[in-house]
Amino acid sequence: MANLKDIRDRIKSVRSIQKVTKAMKMVAAAKMRKAQERMEQARPYTNRLVNVIHHLLPDVNRALLPLLDIRRIQRVGYVVVTSDRGLAGSFNTNVVKKAELEINEIGKENVDLFCIGKKAKDYFTRRNYNIIQSHIEFWNDLEFQHAIKMGEKIINHFVSKKVDEIHVCYNEFVNVATQTIQSEQLLPLEYNQEESSSVSNRLYEPSKEKLTKSLIPRHLNVQMWKYLLESYASEQAARMIAMENATDNAEDMVKNLTLEFNKARQASITKEMLEIVGGAEALK
Amino acid sequence: MGHFTLDIVTPTQNLDVIEVNYVRCPGIDGSFGIMANHQDGVFSLDIGEIMIQSESDTKFYSISGGFAEINENEVCLLVETIEVSSDIDISRAESALQRANERKTKRNEEDLDEVRMESSLSRALNRLRVANR
Repeated sequence: MANLKDIRDRIKSVRSIQKVTKAMKMVAAAKMRKAQERMEQARPYTNRLVNVIHHLLPDVNRALLPLLDIRRIQRVGYVVVTSDRGLAGSFNTNVVKKAELEINEIGKENVDLFCIGKKAKDYFTRRNYNIIQSHIEFWNDLEFQHAIKMGEKIINHFVSKKVDEIHVCYNEFVNVATQTIQSEQLLPLEYNQEESSSVSNRLYEPSKEKLTKSLIPRHLNVQMWKYLLESYASEQAARMIAMENATDNAEDMVKNLTLEFNKARQASITKEMLEIVGGAEALK
Repeated sequence: MGHFTLDIVTPTQNLDVIEVNYVRCPGIDGSFGIMANHQDGVFSLDIGEIMIQSESDTKFYSISGGFAEINENEVCLLVETIEVSSDIDISRAESALQRANERKTKRNEEDLDEVRMESSLSRALNRLRVANR
């Protein structure tokens, strides 16, 4: 039977860890709510922009725009969105694994990587992947400007024909309990050719081509922003769940340890009593 | 004067839909006005100032480019940033202007992206101009 003092110390340490996990859970929950709000705020903008683009694109010649250019695929760019910090369950592992799987299918040497978040950077640096750029330590003050900056670099990489396609791997926020890994094609832009543009009597200023030219980079910025927001919300949700589980586990451990402690205490009392009785018996 | 609904949407905030009489926008080819029953269309907007007139007041906003979509007497402004003139932090705008100017003078050393530099310069100038309304 373990020493009474040892058990007491262990209970104490488990309790203090529990306090930490509980606090982390609360912080994650608050951050997640904020992230969700931001996602909702961004949605109308995205939807409207997509709408306008869908009206425009069918009339625009694909060859005119480098961002719509479909080329034979030789090199592929991958954008992997992770967090800077761990302790969020399988949040980072899953997305990194998924990206790695897809990259290995194409061949490691044909892929240029853009890492967003420290975890992706660490993982792929250690394995000698071809990293073009990484963005780390910005999640705490996430702003639209970040999305623009990242988007710019990625788009330039595509336009200068260093890669022929760009994919993005990120966690999509479904709800608090579920985040799904998504792998989407960012460039060249895909759209539904058949969608009719029935609205004919409309003014376009400047020309449709020029409009599209300035619309699409904006659209990509918004897409990047969406990826960042989704990933951020997912990270917080994943962390919240992970910390909740940790808190529950700690509770169980405290329960078991307390039981063990009581047993040990009872045993030592019994032992003492036996000794006293034995001693008294001997004196008779 | 006839009025129409104006919806301003940005990636980070949604302003309330308001009833207005007149909107003046900075188009790519010069500024243009929208009044009630304007023809439908899509218009590209430059960095500049938006003036919004409603029954009760006139307000000025600074924007950093975007789009205006007109659809059956409903106007939607899709802009990346928008600030009402009274909210602009003048000291921040001034320091941004200073930064942009500094970058311009020493651009040869680092070979910075010219387009980006010019646009940050014009953004800073525009915000100052609107702030002084």
